[in-house]
Amino acid sequence: MQGLTYGAVTRDILRPLFKPSAAYLGLLGLALGIMAWGGYCWWYQLVHGLGAAGYTPPVFWGVYITTFVFWIGIGHAGTLISAILFLFRSRWRTGVYRAAEAMTIFAVMTAGLFPAIHVGRAWNAYWLFPYPNQRELWQNFKSPLMWDVFAVSTYFSVSTIFFYIGLIPDLAAVRDKTTGLVHKMYTHMSLGWRGTDRQWRHYMAAYGFFAAFATPLVLSVHSVVSWDFAMAQTMGWHSTLFPPYFVGGAIFSGCAMVITLLLPMSKIFDWGEYINTWHFESLAKMCLLTGAILTYAYAVEHYIAWYSDNPYEWGIFVYRAMGEEYAWVFYMMVFCNCLAPLVWWKKSWRQNWTILFIVSIIINVGMWFERYNIIASSLAHQFDPMSWVHYTPTWVELGIMLGSFGWFFVWFLLFIKVMPAVAVAEVKELIRPPLKSDEEAAA
Amino acid sequence: MSGMTLTAVYGHLDCMIDSVSAVKKAGVTDFVATSPLPRHDLEHVIYEGKPSPVRWFTMFGAIFGGTLGFALASFTHLNWPMIIPAGKPLVSVPAFLVITFESTVLWGCLFTLVGLIVNCRLPGFGLQKELEDRRFSDDKFGLILNGLSAAQVEQWKKTLHGLGAQELTVTERSHG
Repeated sequence: MQGLTYGAVTRDILRPLFKPSAAYLGLLGLALGIMAWGGYCWWYQLVHGLGAAGYTPPVFWGVYITTFVFWIGIGHAGTLISAILFLFRSRWRTGVYRAAEAMTIFAVMTAGLFPAIHVGRAWNAYWLFPYPNQRELWQNFKSPLMWDVFAVSTYFSVSTIFFYIGLIPDLAAVRDKTTGLVHKMYTHMSLGWRGTDRQWRHYMAAYGFFAAFATPLVLSVHSVVSWDFAMAQTMGWHSTLFPPYFVGGAIFSGCAMVITLLLPMSKIFDWGEYINTWHFESLAKMCLLTGAILTYAYAVEHYIAWYSDNPYEWGIFVYRAMGEEYAWVFYMMVFCNCLAPLVWWKKSWRQNWTILFIVSIIINVGMWFERYNIIASSLAHQFDPMSWVHYTPTWVELGIMLGSFGWFFVWFLLFIKVMPAVAVAEVKELIRPPLKSDEEAAA
Repeated sequence: MSGMTLTAVYGHLDCMIDSVSAVKKAGVTDFVATSPLPRHDLEHVIYEGKPSPVRWFTMFGAIFGGTLGFALASFTHLNWPMIIPAGKPLVSVPAFLVITFESTVLWGCLFTLVGLIVNCRLPGFGLQKELEDRRFSDDKFGLILNGLSAAQVEQWKKTLHGLGAQELTVTERSHG
């Protein structure tokens, strides 16, 4: 970033706003089309009932819960990068954290749809939240599902606040570069921010507190999601290993998704100064670390199942790897999450944008299959052989899952045209401030 | 407040810091410094390390949230007591810790947000006109001295120019 000025930073980062290219509109149209298909599938399920989903007793958790956990996992990297790396004063976070935070919010919004889709009668989804009612009925706060409602809604609220607070000074910068109605809109969105000494003082204090709150939240959310499984007696789920295993996996998939999203963005917007190989390499290293944790977790859960000498527990792990129904899912997971990222141990491949992009997509595919492997196989192969079934998703479930990607990308594409996708004020902090003494020394 | 307002625009951070130091040293209290980015050195000169009161909002919010979370879970279980076998208590501390934690974080953040809004005086639509210079969110620093007499304006113009101000404007104070 040597040689950059404050003015150049503002100009470069705000350049892609507002003017949509034909390619952008094409992408947005595609995302809207996929979202509409998902919407149709959901409508079909609402009309025909949950029978439209492939639930086969006793498998009542399938693609919807798999996709819910997948999107919650994706939502982990944003707040990890923005909050935890902020507290560690990691310099590489600055270029990527805004887009990663936006990704988090849209991923959690996407995940939030799935409990409503999964329960069938989506209009009753508000029953998840405690509210005074005439029957004086309350939710069971000892249930991990209730913990999950609180964990996910708190995570969404805190991430949104953190995201918006970070945006305020940059929205003010956009306001000052626009005119007319757009200027008015950004004046309100920036809450009349003027960057005064009083505002910056309290802003920086508050930002630190938000980061401090968000840090344990990042680690807690997927731990709580993992308890949805680990608190049950189901084989393959009932394990104390689950919280770190899930958190590691979530950060792994989240960082991969940040690479998938930001790599083309940096290329298209010519943001090499702000998002470059240094950032992607750092993300790839995060993936290598968390991928190693994940691989270790896979190995340990198999070892514990064998060492426990519990025939049911060991049976499910043998079934996952060798049963004819789900073995391909298991090997897909192992290939995508354990083997494919290993190419990043080679520095030149870690710095190759094509390899980075392809492997990041493979990881995300693998992480979806990981959740499917955990959920479907354990439920389809429980204690009593008489209840063993083969669960196969229907076109409705797969359509809704696909539609969720459309929904996510619509939000993300709108975001990059309306809000600065790189933090203007924070990037300015990274460059050497303009100093009279420097100019005098140079003269 | 009556008097005149002097707005100085700076392109260099060190000149801005020197000017703010001079203003502070002269005992002027009615001034505003603006910056396109957070600068701790500037904040240190103005507030001399005094911490922001936002922290009290945060602490109160977190304590309130933690108490509320545990109380909500306990109250609901006592209000509809389910007789669970194996002697499990109605009010179970380990089970309710998750709700307590989430509520602590949520309310801590909400109160911090309130603290930020109150202390920053957001939304700041009624601030003085001089702050509306579009360059202050881009690449310039600004120092605005309020409530000056004609003689003080002349004196400060000379001082700030000498300290590196690139542009000096005198106005009747708008409001704020």
